[in-house]
Amino acid sequence: MSYIITFKSEADMPDTTVSLGTTLYNKTGTWRYMRPVYRNKTSPCNYACPAGEDIVNYLQMVVRGEYEQARQRILEENPLIGVCGRVCPHPCESECNRAELGGAIAIHAMERFLADLPGKHELPRAEKTAPRGAKVAIIGSGPAGLSCAYQLARRGYKVTIFEALPVIGGMLRVGIPAYRLPRDVLDREIAAIQSLGVAIRTGLRLGENLKFEDLRDYQAVLLAVGQHRSRKLNVPGEGAQGVLPGLEFLRRINLGEKVEIGPKVAVIGGGNTAMDAARSALRLGAKTVMVLYRRSRYEMPAIDEEIEETEQEGVRIEYLTAPVEVLTTDGRVAGLECVRMRLGEPDERGRRRPEPIFGSNYTLSVETVIPALGQEADLSFLDEAVRKAAGLIVIDEAAATSRHGVFASGDAATGAGTVAHAIGSGKRAALAIDRLLNGQTLAGFPALNEHVHVAARNVDPTIVRFEDINPAYFTPEPRTAQSQRPAAERVKDFREVNLGFTESEALREAQRCFSCGTCNQCDTCWLYCPDVCIQRREHDSYEFNYDYCKGCGVCAEECPRGAINMEEELKWRK
Amino acid sequence: MEKVIMGNHAVSYGVQLARAQVIAAYPITPQTQVVEILSEFCANGTLKATFIKVESEHSAMAAVVGASIAGARAFTATSSHGLALMHEVLHWASGGRLPIVMANVNRALGPGWNVWTEQTDSLAQRDTGWMQFYCETNQEALDMVLQGFKIAETVLLPVMLVLDAFVLSHTEEPVDVPDQETVDRFLPPYEARYKLQPGDPRSFYGLVAPEHWMELRYKMQKAMEEAVAVTQQVGAEFGQVFGRAYDVVEKYRMDDADLALVTSGSIVGTSREVVDELRDKGQKVGLLKIRMFRPFPVAAVREALAGVKKAAVVDRNISYGVGGIFAAELKSALYGTPHQPTVFPFIIGLGGRDVTPQSIRDIVAYAQEHDAPAEEIIWMEVKR
Repeated sequence: MSYIITFKSEADMPDTTVSLGTTLYNKTGTWRYMRPVYRNKTSPCNYACPAGEDIVNYLQMVVRGEYEQARQRILEENPLIGVCGRVCPHPCESECNRAELGGAIAIHAMERFLADLPGKHELPRAEKTAPRGAKVAIIGSGPAGLSCAYQLARRGYKVTIFEALPVIGGMLRVGIPAYRLPRDVLDREIAAIQSLGVAIRTGLRLGENLKFEDLRDYQAVLLAVGQHRSRKLNVPGEGAQGVLPGLEFLRRINLGEKVEIGPKVAVIGGGNTAMDAARSALRLGAKTVMVLYRRSRYEMPAIDEEIEETEQEGVRIEYLTAPVEVLTTDGRVAGLECVRMRLGEPDERGRRRPEPIFGSNYTLSVETVIPALGQEADLSFLDEAVRKAAGLIVIDEAAATSRHGVFASGDAATGAGTVAHAIGSGKRAALAIDRLLNGQTLAGFPALNEHVHVAARNVDPTIVRFEDINPAYFTPEPRTAQSQRPAAERVKDFREVNLGFTESEALREAQRCFSCGTCNQCDTCWLYCPDVCIQRREHDSYEFNYDYCKGCGVCAEECPRGAINMEEELKWRK
Repeated sequence: MEKVIMGNHAVSYGVQLARAQVIAAYPITPQTQVVEILSEFCANGTLKATFIKVESEHSAMAAVVGASIAGARAFTATSSHGLALMHEVLHWASGGRLPIVMANVNRALGPGWNVWTEQTDSLAQRDTGWMQFYCETNQEALDMVLQGFKIAETVLLPVMLVLDAFVLSHTEEPVDVPDQETVDRFLPPYEARYKLQPGDPRSFYGLVAPEHWMELRYKMQKAMEEAVAVTQQVGAEFGQVFGRAYDVVEKYRMDDADLALVTSGSIVGTSREVVDELRDKGQKVGLLKIRMFRPFPVAAVREALAGVKKAAVVDRNISYGVGGIFAAELKSALYGTPHQPTVFPFIIGLGGRDVTPQSIRDIVAYAQEHDAPAEEIIWMEVKR
């Protein structure tokens, strides 16, 4: 009975204030001037992922034990999850709000855990959008090319990848050592893409034994040739025998060639290639390996874990030093003259510029010098029709080059230098090609420094930061580390260093996730609502009953993860 | 079965026999043993009750209020500062019409820390809507627990039974502890009219607008008025079952008395001795024991004092700015009646100072020697 009870006399009344009916007649929602709304927001990890993965949601799927759904959620955006789970520098983790309470979620290890689950490893198909007979050529079988091929093939396109090298995978195969990325993982993920009907033809290098005219039958072409040329040292003696440019060194090892190195090796540079080269040199039998870097540890671009693992294996890293000359005897490396550096004023990118200290030269006795100072693309095969600038192919937001129907992605177009960026970039090109071949506009793609998603995300673009998390609901819990083979053991071969998560470790790590901005049905709002006006529907979503919600805001205030907004009522707006 | 037990334990046995279902309390000298032994009863299963440990007396009262709303027979005990801390929740118990029984061991309030007896702590709660009963002996304390639940559950107001610190609380006396069957016959289980239960959801103690508020307070006053007769009836029934009848007041050798000693609590026992002694000497002195303080038994007091020339009220308490509280209540009750006795308001024994037979003799002598009190408050045994 929901109406106001008015008593005529005290005799009709109960002895005390007890409800005899309900207060449903009293629609307290009319008191409200602020309205709570469920609105998921963008987690910092999702925002940061260059491959555009829906990290926050797949972690919550892991919490619920929905491993296969979690894997499928990643595969929507990225077909190379076993690769990324191992070699991605994980910018997601750098943004992770959990860092404040025990360390960022080990997202890369979660991804690897899902990638390595037993199963058929089939890639999810998408709605067929390819026009009849639509064919696309992709130049380069690295992560950008593979990502683009995957996104097109799953939509029904006939895709052919042309690869210059005799092997498939680009930098994944010839740049990254097997102890970081085992070849069976790479083979498995490439095979899954091929099984969608993607043809891969190796040994065909555009501009040499393959001409642009040969691609006439293809309605679109993607240039994803990567950056495979090492930057030069530009010091005297660089041409001596025993100087092995980093990428060439790694490529030759990965192609199975015999590479001669001396017992004492100096690697020059501070990026991941330098680390890879140093650690590979150890595995080839070098007695001492040192890395020379002209700035300090703080400026070093390699991933922290990589640096730590490199040092664990016995590589000495010397900071603030730079080579001035490769000393030679009979055309062979005999030593390396270096000069000590100090950090001066910041450069245009904000990094402090290293300056030599006059008179601080010293000599190192080494037989092998591996410069790993970064890489560049060899774009000599391209004619004027495709515009280039600063050593990169110029593209617009739809990854289109200046030549109609020709797109470019990956390092050759972005210079970003990570697998995840290459995957995002290849996906962007695929979505653009799909539109072009369906006669749609190429406008409306996000800026090149933002990331594209295949699956639409109905979330607020606001990024949830640590200040938006309700700290009352979380305690510090330490980050879970993957187990590794002992350093003394692993330098003996090229087998994988990291051993991945067990299921219980993965679950524990996933449970540390704040689920930033993403409702995970924790029931907090439902429990706290003082007006009992939140309804829980089948435990997968909630609904406000605005007839009674007074707009007190307790739900939004309590929400551990910032998934409820308080919005001004329309009726109060002028 | 007769046992020699302290007043605190007499209360505990009463609670056990009453089959209280929820006990929540916070320890304070001189009350501690009341709940100490009850917690043992709960632990060893001789009392099937939930014992709730709390962090303060405010919470203790809140817990028994909750238990009582849920329909449980609930008990707590406290003293002095503990009772003061409960003050707010006392109103929730009475306004909620909850038949809670609480034992309060009278103790003076600080500062000037003092653990000894004085009635000011309980009397300061006289306007909270709780019934108040002052006990003379350990036996009466036990008996009052049993009657207290019965009275409370009849009129739906909480009962505070009061006993003196140490004089009763820690002093052992022979006490007849009745058997359970007899008690069960006297005190059936409590059935709440409305109670908090998941199957019949209700909200309690919501907002009441002015249009209904006064009616609820009117009903509380009516319940208080009814409580006098109910107490008399329950006391009489108690007498039939257990052989010890009680009334709201007790007249002792009041026949043809010219002078009545009027007092409460353990001072009554001392006064009985003095009255017997003076009667033996042929003096027309009687004693009126006030057992029930809230509601104040106006009719019984008027009837008892009709024809008495002088009433010497012995107060072990003070309302600062007025004086003895029983004296004030007595004057108020007598106002407008014909042939009112002259009231002599004595204050004595604050903070546990001994009240001896000689103290009572001195009080009687003062009243006999004066036609009227020489001052507004007659302070006894104050060094001034």
